[in-house]
Amino acid sequence: MTIGSMFGDIFKSLFKKPSTEQYPFVKTEAPENLRGKLVWDPEKCTGCMLCIKDCPSNGIELLVVDKVNKKFVMRYNIDRCTFCAQCVESCRFGCIEMSDEMWELASIKKEPFEVFYGRDEDIQFLLDNAAKGETEAPC
Amino acid sequence: MEPKTAPEKFIVPIGPQHPALKEPGHFEFTVEGEVVTNATARLGFVHRGMEKGAENRTWIQDLYLMERVCGICSHVHALAFALGVEKLAGVQAPPRAQAIRELVSELERIHSHLLWLGVAAHEGGFDTLFMFSWRDRETVMDLLETISGNRVNYSANVLGGVKIDISEKQADAIRKGMDFLEERTKHYLKVVTEDETFLGRTRNIGVMTFEQADFLGAIGPTGRASGVKRDVRVDSPYTAYNDFPVKLVTHTHGDLEARFIVRIQELYESYRLVRELVDKMPTGDLTVRVPRRIPEGEVISRVEAPRGELLYFLKSNGSDTPERVKVRTPSLCNWSSVLVTAVGHNLADMPMILAGIDPCFSCNDRIVTVNRKTDSTQMDWEDLRQYGIEYYK
Repeated sequence: MTIGSMFGDIFKSLFKKPSTEQYPFVKTEAPENLRGKLVWDPEKCTGCMLCIKDCPSNGIELLVVDKVNKKFVMRYNIDRCTFCAQCVESCRFGCIEMSDEMWELASIKKEPFEVFYGRDEDIQFLLDNAAKGETEAPC
Repeated sequence: MEPKTAPEKFIVPIGPQHPALKEPGHFEFTVEGEVVTNATARLGFVHRGMEKGAENRTWIQDLYLMERVCGICSHVHALAFALGVEKLAGVQAPPRAQAIRELVSELERIHSHLLWLGVAAHEGGFDTLFMFSWRDRETVMDLLETISGNRVNYSANVLGGVKIDISEKQADAIRKGMDFLEERTKHYLKVVTEDETFLGRTRNIGVMTFEQADFLGAIGPTGRASGVKRDVRVDSPYTAYNDFPVKLVTHTHGDLEARFIVRIQELYESYRLVRELVDKMPTGDLTVRVPRRIPEGEVISRVEAPRGELLYFLKSNGSDTPERVKVRTPSLCNWSSVLVTAVGHNLADMPMILAGIDPCFSCNDRIVTVNRKTDSTQMDWEDLRQYGIEYYK
């Protein structure tokens, strides 16, 4: 039986730096397998919709621009995503990846949480349509 | 006015919101002076309706819903669910996937037991041990993040296998982490069995005999500290526990000190198992194909969570959504042991006795049954919904 059996640890710690990471000032490198923000490659997508079907949080939507020519745009809602990577597993064509760099996703506005992936002209076409729709909609 | 002769009952209510408890639960301790003479518990404050929610989602989506039943043992919940679905579908995950599942389970057990060590020490007023054990726990959390990509919800499972693979670089990091943790854990075992001030809070406190533990159905490390030889990993091995067996750790004293010793010795067993798994990891595929529509049937799937036996009952009607998912978490089985062992102890020992079973409130809040015998009514889903609307009007 002893008293103060952890005094040794405490004295040793006096001469060490704190274990706490100084996060916003010093950033540690993210592990390579980190499941960060989703990235979608429009070139390989066939529009099979399996990723959308399997998503447990309804975080992704596939908007059809031209079904025959396989033109799609993916709307990715980061605030809904649970980063489970089931869509990466479900995709048979390897269009979806989870990036290990983009993980600082917090924001005080809603806009950064809605991300469009796809060819630039397809996204523009959809956004223009949406803008038209908004002006035409009755108040 | 005449003085009262009958002894007055004084009840100390604790919770649902209480600074000593991190999760909501309500306890009433009847005391005579400092000594507790009766204890009752009321649970159900964090009922989230997950079982009902599971019926509206597909089997694949449910895997991730079930992973969120518990924030500490997320992997075992997904594992129990995945094993059940694979049994219904009549497929078996490849050997490498089974070994990785066991590896993540054991790493999770290490993180859970180190977490408990800190919490239990904190409840006993030993904050130095709390800080140091949580600092060391970061090692295993970082390892889990390295191999799976997330600190808490690892999402290692898919139906039919695993998503993650262990590279040689990661295996080296795991070996290094285990060496460091084993050395630290040896020190902690010495601290909790030799430190006089701490032993005053644990030795002969909350003693549960083997007969009591057996009668109350205590499971997991709580039961094993009282000599109950019960562990799903040994009794009915799942995943790779047949090829990489685990040794049963028990103790006979049944007090809080015994629970510390059992959990710390289980940590040694986990370190050994993790090293063996990374050294002799089988090669091969990571997944097999599982159909989207699961054949009709019922299955019970059991795994050993860090707190004890976790049971899943799954019922399929042949479609791509389950008909019934029933979860029974280990904390629920251990509550009665708290209420029995609390009697006869000082009120100041209650936080330690409560923490002794490693309770997890939000996982065990599944349903509340009020048995009033005289005015029982049966309600269907629509009645229940109406009742809820009227109640909160």
